[in-house]
Amino acid sequence: MRKLSLLVMILLMVGAGAAVAQDEPITIDLWHIQSTGDGPQLIQQAADRYMADNPHVTVEVVPMQNDPYKTRILTAMGAGDPPCIFISWGGGPLYEYVQANQVVDLTDYMTADNYTEHFLPASLSNATFDGRIYGVPVENTAIAVLFYNKAIFEEYGLEPPETWDELLTIVDTLVENGIAPFSLANRTKWPSSMYYMYLVDRIAGPEVFASAANRTGETFTHPAFVQAGEMIQDLVNRGGFIEGFNGLDYDTGQSRMPIYANQAAMTLMGSWELGNFLSENPDFYENDLGFFPFPAVEGGEGNPTNVVGTVGDNYYHISTACEHPDEAFELIQYLIDDESVALRIESGRIPPVAGVAELLEDPIQQEIMRMVEAAESVQLWYDQYLPPELGEVHKDLMQALFAGEITPEEQAEQMEAAVAEYFGA
Amino acid sequence: MDTTTAAAERGITRATRRKLPGWNEYTPTIILFLLPTLVFMVLFVVWPIINSFELSLYQWNGISPTRDYIGLNNWTRLISDRVFWKAFGNNLIVVVLSIAVQMPLALLLAIMLERTTNLVVARFLKTVYFFPMLMSSVAIGILFKYIYDPSFGPLSQALKALGLASLNRQWLGDPGIVLYSIIAVICWQYIPFYMILFLAALTGIPEDLRDAARIDGANEGQYYRYIAVPIISGTLRTAVVLSLIGSLKYFDLIWVMSEGGPNNASELMATYMYKKAFPSFEMGYGSTVASALFLIVMGVGLITMKLTRRFETKV
Repeated sequence: MRKLSLLVMILLMVGAGAAVAQDEPITIDLWHIQSTGDGPQLIQQAADRYMADNPHVTVEVVPMQNDPYKTRILTAMGAGDPPCIFISWGGGPLYEYVQANQVVDLTDYMTADNYTEHFLPASLSNATFDGRIYGVPVENTAIAVLFYNKAIFEEYGLEPPETWDELLTIVDTLVENGIAPFSLANRTKWPSSMYYMYLVDRIAGPEVFASAANRTGETFTHPAFVQAGEMIQDLVNRGGFIEGFNGLDYDTGQSRMPIYANQAAMTLMGSWELGNFLSENPDFYENDLGFFPFPAVEGGEGNPTNVVGTVGDNYYHISTACEHPDEAFELIQYLIDDESVALRIESGRIPPVAGVAELLEDPIQQEIMRMVEAAESVQLWYDQYLPPELGEVHKDLMQALFAGEITPEEQAEQMEAAVAEYFGA
Repeated sequence: MDTTTAAAERGITRATRRKLPGWNEYTPTIILFLLPTLVFMVLFVVWPIINSFELSLYQWNGISPTRDYIGLNNWTRLISDRVFWKAFGNNLIVVVLSIAVQMPLALLLAIMLERTTNLVVARFLKTVYFFPMLMSSVAIGILFKYIYDPSFGPLSQALKALGLASLNRQWLGDPGIVLYSIIAVICWQYIPFYMILFLAALTGIPEDLRDAARIDGANEGQYYRYIAVPIISGTLRTAVVLSLIGSLKYFDLIWVMSEGGPNNASELMATYMYKKAFPSFEMGYGSTVASALFLIVMGVGLITMKLTRRFETKV
């Protein structure tokens, strides 16, 4: 009996000691890039709720702009002073962080209490390497779709196409009437990559790219990559794209202006573009904006329900330099708990959680979500999937391909050479 | 008391003699005043330069705790890097055009302003001409991105209105034109700076010289040709050297307006350095480009200073 009470006393003391230790004030810093619209508030409200529940923790939230962030996080990691929680887009750049031992392996946290089931299965794959999970998908679901100006389509009696040939007929009709079929602002290069990714996927399915990128058999000289390049140059030569597209800047709206002005009919862009349409030109959004999935390619092996995009958008990670990973993970869970999910949907996003389809009310969002759920595969953007160095090579080659400065064969060969060198070294 | 003072004085004289030439009683104070600047210079300029040279010997992605020593591999890669030499060539174009366009126009504007006798007009024009200099490069870049828009831009609209639609180009989309489109903006931005520099030098010339020249029968053209411009040749030299070095390490407007594209058509050494060091995660190779840029700017700068030494004046 005395022994037992002694044990109880010791346990109590240990417990009390732990409680005291827990109450010691700690600070967790979090860098994110939700800097536009109500983005900062979405993160801050979660941090505030977490701090209210855990008074000993101070959360320092630092919102940053997209492009400066990319440089700052690299510099901070190189200097050995990264924030506790930071974001990435998953894929190749995240893998660099993982290999550099900068990211905490979250597998044990994620599998505890089956937490992974909280998410859409497709959302975890871009942050999983060799079966280990390194990030929590939080922000959004975004897939590339073809937006079009309904007024122009009505004027010339056009219908959304289901095949590439139908699309080419539409292109020819529009060119004859002096309207640019596609608006494209390709100064930053990634917008043109979307056409290429979809064509490769439609021609040969997603496996060819995955196999070529992971060096598991295929190469970037596979006929699908060449054929996609040929189809793009054919489209360019038909006058498919707006004049001067390689010099136009997406970030300052130069791809949307021609659509508002009825000078261009379509554009292939991530579904985040809906937010831009809505805030820049509500009238157009209400009356004239439509979208359709990328058409099928005749004889192609890829399933036409496949989409290119990202389920998750931003992933939240814990750096190995973080002294309080347990608290940090708890904080991340607040970012994507039911309350945060509801707020994200309210601000026009589709958070990557299971059952999100039932929570959506906006018909356009529902339609996007239907496409994601029906998709056999979701191809992550090549430039995010590939290691950063190769992502840059791919984007440079896309700009040159669209400009007609290299042939489709040269594009394929140069990409293959860069990939082979990267993995050979 | 007397003897000790004398001994102390002698001690000081002896100590002074042993010290470096030019060392006197003010020297410690001078060093003390310069110290803050020197510390910052070493910390933020000298040390990073040395550090870049060191990093150029490694293969490093910028975040990994380890980096691989690869000797001069980055440097051999640089020497056979087509894009780097393309960028170097573009830098030379920027140098030549900047000097050839900015210097004469700035001088012309300065002379015009100096000759404007109506003070209100002169002040008004000075302010207007100086305006581009007051805007941030990023704002100018975004502004001209819109101006150059081939369908909506004021430039193409103006050409259409004048019936010159055939002259319209894809100003920032055509690899053959993009560099020149941006250089035009660079000139627009920097001419005011040199104009003010020249204007200050011109107004610094004593009025007697002009009067003397007039009495000797020189007209205004001759005054500027034979008297004013030779007198301010020191300022002209400073302006040329500034423009030269500025053009070699130029970055801002190119980055904002074209990111060096399309297809490296407007790539400069500095934009290439940034692309390699950050978006491509190649900090080692990026540092090599940075070091090469440093050597080139340093070398060209020193040579120019030496070649133009004879123009050195106190102005």
